[in-house]
Parts: sequence; structure tokens; C-alpha cells
Amino acid sequence: MLLAAAALTKTYRLGRVDVPALRGVDLTVQRGEFIAITGPSGSGKSTLMHILGCLDTPTSGSYRIDGEDVGTLRGKDLARVRNRKVGFVFQTFNLMPRLTVEENVALPLKYRGGMARPERRKRALALLERLGLSDRVGHRPDELSGGQRQRVAIARALVGEPAILMADEPTGNLDSKAGANVLDTFDELHRMGHTIILVTHDPNVAARAERIVHISDGVVV
Amino acid sequence: MTLLESLLTGLDEARRHWGQTLLSLLGLILGTASIVTVLALFGGQATLTQDYLNEVGGVGTLVLENRDRSVRPRAAELASERLTYRDARILRDRARTLDAVIPGWTRELTYRAGSVGFDGEVVGTVPDYARINDIRTLGGRYLTDLDVERATRVAVLGWKFADSLFGAAPKALGAVVSLGGKAYTVVGVLEREEFRFAPWADNSLEYRNERAYIPITTAVAQHSADDALEFLTVRADPAAGVTRAESEIRSLLFATHGVEDFDIRPSGGGEGEDSGQFLLLFNFIFLVVGVVSMFTGGVVIANILLASVVERVREFGTRMALGATATGIFAQVIAEVLVVTVIGGVSGLALGTGLTGIVGYVMQIPAVVTPGVATIAIGTSLAVGVVAGIYPAIRAARLSPVEALRYG
Repeated sequence: MLLAAAALTKTYRLGRVDVPALRGVDLTVQRGEFIAITGPSGSGKSTLMHILGCLDTPTSGSYRIDGEDVGTLRGKDLARVRNRKVGFVFQTFNLMPRLTVEENVALPLKYRGGMARPERRKRALALLERLGLSDRVGHRPDELSGGQRQRVAIARALVGEPAILMADEPTGNLDSKAGANVLDTFDELHRMGHTIILVTHDPNVAARAERIVHISDGVVV
Repeated sequence: MTLLESLLTGLDEARRHWGQTLLSLLGLILGTASIVTVLALFGGQATLTQDYLNEVGGVGTLVLENRDRSVRPRAAELASERLTYRDARILRDRARTLDAVIPGWTRELTYRAGSVGFDGEVVGTVPDYARINDIRTLGGRYLTDLDVERATRVAVLGWKFADSLFGAAPKALGAVVSLGGKAYTVVGVLEREEFRFAPWADNSLEYRNERAYIPITTAVAQHSADDALEFLTVRADPAAGVTRAESEIRSLLFATHGVEDFDIRPSGGGEGEDSGQFLLLFNFIFLVVGVVSMFTGGVVIANILLASVVERVREFGTRMALGATATGIFAQVIAEVLVVTVIGGVSGLALGTGLTGIVGYVMQIPAVVTPGVATIAIGTSLAVGVVAGIYPAIRAARLSPVEALRYG
């Protein structure tokens, strides 16, 4: 089992009121699975994704990736897990506007440390070629189309060879054609054995996954 | 990623968004330059004030003057003889806190030499007057102790009066001048004295060129019914200090006067009254401008740095999602802020130095960028950088990736 979450809760404190976002979520993901987490807005699906991606910490419950208990990790240790185990794709791409495509993709390797620049460059270029972006390596993000930007973001998420690829509404900011293209990329990555967790409110997008986890009101239904 | 790499990333970022960096730099440069300029001009002005005070006796020189009589004076006040030459001798003989005691007797008398005549000030005093007031002779000598002891009829002429009476200052030496109808031998002519707070300002020491000095004893014997003085200048012994000197004067003179009917004020306030007022106003304006420009400069710098940090918190969030640590983010921001504040501070110092030169030249006032001014300017720039750049960076680095991603 690659990923095991048990009884995860997350409570936000808004002033003097506690707002529960997750109220006890159990979820396991096997290596190589392609899962879609769906639910209406405010259901807690994004909160769950953030905790699974180690961008946020649970209020209670346990969470293990590859057998390591990451639910209790903080700071530097959590940064290491984010860097090595998780590749994150955002709805708004979140590329560094002043870095080239190649530099953007190599960034996680730079944060990992211990890898010389030529090696980082080689890996970034290899991934970009796989995703059909070889002719864009020296460009800046604002010179690319939305679909191209998201594929650069996917390359960046994959460059560190993470255990899981996580995507939060990856097609939300794309037109249908570019969105379909990105989803095709996910299908292909899945076929190649990558584990993918995708958050979406769009049933058509969710339908591409092997398994759909539906969240409502902070619990899996 | 190592700390060095984080710092390099910060430098790289500063270079890549050069437009924004330039804008931050501009704010820093202008802010620092205005601080430098104002402080330098203010410092120049303060130096000038110090110079003037030294000309009129320096710090520690006190002037005693008769206080105006009360509207309904009491018997003791009426009985007092006010400041006299005897007071001067009492202070000279008994005071332990005084370095010099100079009696000052002044009258408006008629000057006459040949066919030239006019009314002007005559000062009766002692040799120490020249020592305290830094008076130098152009030719001849100043008054001597022997002159005072024997009450000789000798006069030392100010430069302008010597020039007016005899056509040229050097010609006055050895000549005879009539002061208030009594004949005096001119034994000395003084150097022309000049001190201007600005080239367009009046000569603050002109009054010294328009007078004659005679021995105090001669003045009292020839032109007075009594030995009353107009003022009495003393200098406090530096070891004793001004405060102790003042209290000793009060107690010694109270014994002879029976009442405190005199005022003690620091020298330089009365003789250059107008200049003093002018100076006070000038300094006040500079102080206000200085504080305001320092504040404005600080706010401009803070605002620009703050804006750039807030704008980039979301980017920090992304970087953290990719594996950046809080320390790494912090190091990156420090490098950016340092590069901007140091370059901005140094350039601002250079610009401010240039501006100081121009303003000083145009207004013809002394202004120097001292190491102190430079330190304050660079220090302000750095302090503002720390407050405006690093404090928000600490806060940004402490956010969780999710909070940073949602920021703003």
C-alpha cells in the first residue's frame, strides 16, 4: 500500500468558531492507481488533497506514505517529503514567471540538493521531450499557451520521480481542447505506472480515473 | 538546497525581475540621498554655529548684565550699585571657578581726528578681552596690564574706525585720536573681523570693527562719575563647569549687591542677537525637513519592499510545495533585500553627496558628508530593509504552503 490515511480530521479556526473541513476520512491508495477525488465546492476535497500532498497538516488521524508516518512531520522533514514523494500540479500552473521552462522544471531537483547542474538539466530536458515540449525549453511561461504551461507544470511535478502525482483541478483554467490534451497526458502517465490522485468537481474529468472517491461534508460517501 | 544556493537564488531573482528591483532601488536611492543631503547641510550649519560661538568666547563664556529694575523696587534693590568694576575685581580675586573676568564698560562717544568726526562706541576693558574673544592686531598691540594699572590714555581701534578716521588702518598707529574730548594715543589697530552665516548674510562681527578699546581704569576715570559697568564677561574654568561658576557668581555678587539685580546668559546670544535668531530658525527648519525626509524615505523604501514581498508570498508557497524549506525561502529573501538595500544605500549616498555639493554651492553654505552622516544614511537604508523586507519574509516563511498559496 502506497498511501494510507485513517480517521483524518482537519478543523480550521475562524475567529472563535471551529470550522470542521474534514471529519474522519479513511483512504488507501495502491501503487499505480489513478484516483479522482470529487465533491461539491466546500466539501473538503481540496483540504484532503492538501493534506495528502503534505502542503497542510491534519488536526488528527494518521497518514502514511510508503510506510512512513508523515502526518506528524513538520517543517524541514515535511519539505523533504513534499520534494521526494509528491509531485504537485496546480489549477493555476504556478510556474515561476522569471525562470525559463527548463529552469522551472529543474527547480525540485535544485531544492533536493546533491545533484550537479548538468544532471538536473539533462533530466529536465528528457521529461520535456517526453511531454512534447522540446521546442519550448528556453521560453518563459508567459510565452506559452495554457495547455503548454500545464504540461510544463506536470514535467516539474514528475522530475523528482515522486511516488504520487497530485493534481488540483488541473483542467480548471484550460479550454476543453487543452484540457483533454492534459487529461490524455495523465492517462498516458497512468499507463506507464505512475500513481495519480486528481481533484475535480467535473464528473467528465473524474470519469477518466479508475476509482472515484466522493467527498461530501468532510467525509467519504 | 544549500544556504549558498538559496542566497544565489535570491540574487538571481533580484536580477531577473530587474524592473521591480530598479523601482525598489530608486525609492531607496532617493530616500537615502535626501537623508544624506539634509544631514550634511544640517551638520554644516551646526559646525558654523560652533565656529561663531568660538569667535565670541566659546562654550563656557558667560555674560552678566544689569537686570531691569522692578516696577516697585524694594529698598535693597534701590541701594545696590549694580554691576561695577569693583564687582569685576571681587570675582577676579575670590572666584575659584572662573578662568577669566572681563569688565565691560561702553559709551557712545564722539571720535575726532583732524577734520573727521563721528559718534561711535568706546569699550573700556582689560587685556583678557582679546584672549577670550580671539582678537588679533593688524599692527601695534592690544591693551596691557600696565595700561590698566596706570590708567593710561591709550586706545586700540577697530579696523573700520581706524580706516574712517585716518584713511587707512595702518596710518592710525601712533596717531592721536580724540574720544569724548580727551586725547588718546592709538597703540594698536585690529584685524578686520568677519563672520557670515552665508555670503548673503550680514557680517555678524561687524560691530567689532566699529569701536575702540581703552583701559577700563581710564574709562572710569575720564568718562564716568562712578565705576558702573554695562556688562561683565566671565569664562568658567572648564574643570569647574558653567553651572558651578554661575552659582559662585551669584553668591559672591549677592554679598555686595544685597539683591540679585543681574542676569547671567551664555555669550553669543546677545551680541549676535539677530544672527542667533536667524540661526535658530534655520536649524529648526533643517531639523524638520531632515526628520520628514528621513521618515518619507523610510516609508517609500518600506512600501516598495513590502509590496514586493506580499506579491511574492504565493510564489513562496509554490516553492515550498516543490520542497523549499522555510530557511531556504528566508535566505532567498534576505539575499534579495540585502542586495537592494546595500546597492540602494550606497548609490543614495553617492547621489546625496553630489546633491549636497550642489546645494552647498548654490546656497553658499558649508555642508560636508561626514562618516557619521554616511553611517546614518546606510544604517537607515539597512534598518528599513530589515523592517520592511525581512520581517515580512519571516512571516512568509512561517506560513504553511497552503496558507502561502492562498495568500492575498
